[in-house]
Amino acid sequence: MPVDLDNSSTASGEASVTSSGNQNPLPKSTAKKKRNLPGMPDPDAEVIALSPRTLLATNRFVCEICNKGFQRDQNLQLHRRGHNLPWKLRQRSSKEVKKRVYVCPEITCVHHHPSRALGDLTGIKKHFCRKHGEKKWKCDKCSKKYAVQSDWKAHSKICGTREYKCDCGTVFSRRDSFITHRAFCDVLAEERAKAQTQPQPQNQNQTATKESDPKPQTTDSSPPSAAAPVSVSAPESGKVPAPAPAVPQLTSVISSSALPIQSSDLPENPSPIMEESLAPAPAAAPTGLNGSCSSSASLGSNGSSGSGSRCSVFASLFASSTTSASLKPQQPPVFIDLFQSVGQPDCLTDLAPSPSIEPISLCLSTNHGSSIFGTAGQEHRQYAPPPQPAMSATALLQKAAQMGATATNASLLHGLGIASLSSSSAQQDNLQWGQRQVEPENTSVVAGLGLGLPRDGSSGLKELMMGTPVFGPKQATLDFLGLGMAAGGSPNGGLSALITSIGGELDVVAAATSFGGGDFTSKDIGRSS
Amino acid sequence: MKTEVRGNGGSISLQNPSLFNIPLDPITGALKGCLGSLDGACIEKLLLHCASALENNDVTLAQQVMWVLNNVASTVGDTNQRLTAWFLRALISRASRVCPTSMNFNGGSMFQRRLMTVTELVGYVDLIPWHRFGFCASNGAIFKAVEGYGKVHILDFSITQCMQWPTLIDALAKRPEGPPSLRITVPSCRPQVPPLLNVSKEEVGHRLANFAKFRDVPFEFHVKDDDPCLSNETFSTQFESLLTQLTRSQLDLRYDEALVINCQNWLRYLSDESKGNTTTVRDAFLDVIKGLNPRIIVVVDEDCDLSASSLSSRITTCFNYLWIPFDALETFLPKDSRQRLEYESDIGHKIENIVGFEGFQRTERLESGVKLSQRMNDAGFVSLPFCEDTINEVKSLLDEHASGWGMKREEDMLVLTWKGHNSVFATAWTELED
Repeated sequence: MPVDLDNSSTASGEASVTSSGNQNPLPKSTAKKKRNLPGMPDPDAEVIALSPRTLLATNRFVCEICNKGFQRDQNLQLHRRGHNLPWKLRQRSSKEVKKRVYVCPEITCVHHHPSRALGDLTGIKKHFCRKHGEKKWKCDKCSKKYAVQSDWKAHSKICGTREYKCDCGTVFSRRDSFITHRAFCDVLAEERAKAQTQPQPQNQNQTATKESDPKPQTTDSSPPSAAAPVSVSAPESGKVPAPAPAVPQLTSVISSSALPIQSSDLPENPSPIMEESLAPAPAAAPTGLNGSCSSSASLGSNGSSGSGSRCSVFASLFASSTTSASLKPQQPPVFIDLFQSVGQPDCLTDLAPSPSIEPISLCLSTNHGSSIFGTAGQEHRQYAPPPQPAMSATALLQKAAQMGATATNASLLHGLGIASLSSSSAQQDNLQWGQRQVEPENTSVVAGLGLGLPRDGSSGLKELMMGTPVFGPKQATLDFLGLGMAAGGSPNGGLSALITSIGGELDVVAAATSFGGGDFTSKDIGRSS
Repeated sequence: MKTEVRGNGGSISLQNPSLFNIPLDPITGALKGCLGSLDGACIEKLLLHCASALENNDVTLAQQVMWVLNNVASTVGDTNQRLTAWFLRALISRASRVCPTSMNFNGGSMFQRRLMTVTELVGYVDLIPWHRFGFCASNGAIFKAVEGYGKVHILDFSITQCMQWPTLIDALAKRPEGPPSLRITVPSCRPQVPPLLNVSKEEVGHRLANFAKFRDVPFEFHVKDDDPCLSNETFSTQFESLLTQLTRSQLDLRYDEALVINCQNWLRYLSDESKGNTTTVRDAFLDVIKGLNPRIIVVVDEDCDLSASSLSSRITTCFNYLWIPFDALETFLPKDSRQRLEYESDIGHKIENIVGFEGFQRTERLESGVKLSQRMNDAGFVSLPFCEDTINEVKSLLDEHASGWGMKREEDMLVLTWKGHNSVFATAWTELED
């Protein structure tokens, strides 16, 4: 008998409710239960969109006779008895009830769209309150706020009741996280190692449980490499009160496999890039990752300061390039800004401190979601100035059409790392197109975490002027994929169709005329629709 | 102004250099403002258009759509923006592969290539119950299955580097009849996917051993190494070699041991394409483990069907599935949380593989829980239901996380749900008695 327990609606222990889409409402059915694709609830389901007021006022259990609503099924049943129904009708209606799914009334919400609908009225009510409602309920002990009373109650029950503290100082409210942490905690491992054998000088890289071991089996394990210290510690630390034959087996297995294994642990990507950023031994627990990034200068808006090993390579690329073009003074800051803004997430130096702290707040039942943090992360100084009055999506696509193939061509170029080539070439009028001057590091900055695509059309203009991509060295076409096709397919038709499908009016004619091809004037660039 | 390419880069005159002084076009701000509010359906459509444009070699359209998408994308924006960023990246990666020589699109962002410390990984797997759900259900089933056995041997095929075992060791330590002696064997090869550790498997094993000792559980840890010559090969090559070594003798299986096979986020990396008449690697693996006569096999993976060969269907399915972890992270972590960015980046790695690659390079071949169950049945396994204790444990685990997470049962399968949508499934199997 399928049963499902959905926390989103049973925080206070109500009867279990069906979740969206996947459950056949009839308990016994000869038909095989329909399994729906994730994200696509039952296609036969009726999508209900209620206004906020109605949503909050609607009850889940409704009497079919008089339409009176109830919070609980038992109450509904009690009520139905009062209608003095004939025996036949007293039983619950056995006809298949049409599956209903509900969308969130808040337009900007991800659950506003039918494909993200929730199958349960109580669920959507709670979601709406939690996400878009006012948090009226506050925990006394820890001051967390909740919009839904049952959430608040559930939290208060466990807040502060259980705390597990590891010797290393980290605190957990959940036992399983605590146990897992404890098992692997550096501090514990160190203590254990010290307790077991006579004090030995710690191995380099401050990793725990390392003791130099005179035994032959372990000496052939290689000394720790830059990135991953080999951890073949003395067998004693790994020894367990197992029968004697098992112990040598353990050590021999480990020592013989130490070397080859190690390499497979490391990713296969070109190592210089990785090691560059991971050079400080990452063994120290919470600071490892932060350390490698915080060692780089903080990212400022000024373009000239390198912001990490890779960003600084980039900066130096610009700084050192000699040029006769007049735009050199202007260019580097724009690009560096751009790439820094794009590369920024890679080297977040001003983020929340030590990751080990975060689990604690997570462990406690929280639902602060984005409302508390909402605006905090949004203001990144690198990003564009505050958004201006919105353009509709269709107007936007129209703009894309007006920009023309070449603009996007070049912008893409830019983004894909070739830009740095072209940008430096902008500063040098004579350039071998076929040459790639970009070193892998630069490309990886661009392609690093952000996409490297410029957020505006204008910096793409330069490339536009320079002409196109350098993929196939002798390509004379606008085709960035080097496929030898000019502007492939029916670009116009493609984009218009796209725009139409997205919806909205579109002046296809206008788009078409300005789309012409490679030629365009500065007028077009600045034109607003 | 003409925009022809010069073959050898002759001098290029810039007729209007003042253009380059415009730092930001007025469009930009508008773009930023407007596109951020494009909803998921719209973005999905754009992604599909881009993909089909790439497949039809409609270069211009692809670029234009990418340009638009790029203005939506933001790795620190809202859920849709973040998803878009990773999808767009995958599409670009795909496009770049058409011309491999001229572009060095370095696959894998810095985040994805990062190596975590063991302690960091502990926090990582507990960021959301995504992994812990599988751990809890599996460990519960394993615990039940080894009742009465004095020796337990676990073959651990997983990508989470033994994070699952401390809680099992803890549970076994508290057994009324005393703990069994426990052996854990892991293969030396592992798919090249995050999460990556900065220490070797042996080191992880050592720490586990320390912990087991601390809890007085007799413990052994082995890394089943394969041919050192293959150490630079791809995972699939290494694994095919490993398959030949999964024999009773080479694994040193003992007659009085309860053998447990743990497959966590693993089967998806085994190829499900058959070349000619040969069995797929995935099915071959199942045959091999069946031959070892395990007491129980637990299979946990993400409940999503990504084995389709059509790019559009993969994009759609993937987009409509991965919003789930993104949404969950959005609920619990602030926009600039580093842990969140790292976690999302690892999901981005998956997206890049699913959308950006084809053929043998596309290593992420998830199949849904239902399909997996069918496969197990076909291989001669029968499902084992999870007992009430386990289910209660999972329930209380989810209760401790904030609302939104739920669990449901689909026949013998347990499924983790987020806002009602299936995310991870857990199943347990044993051999069909003849």
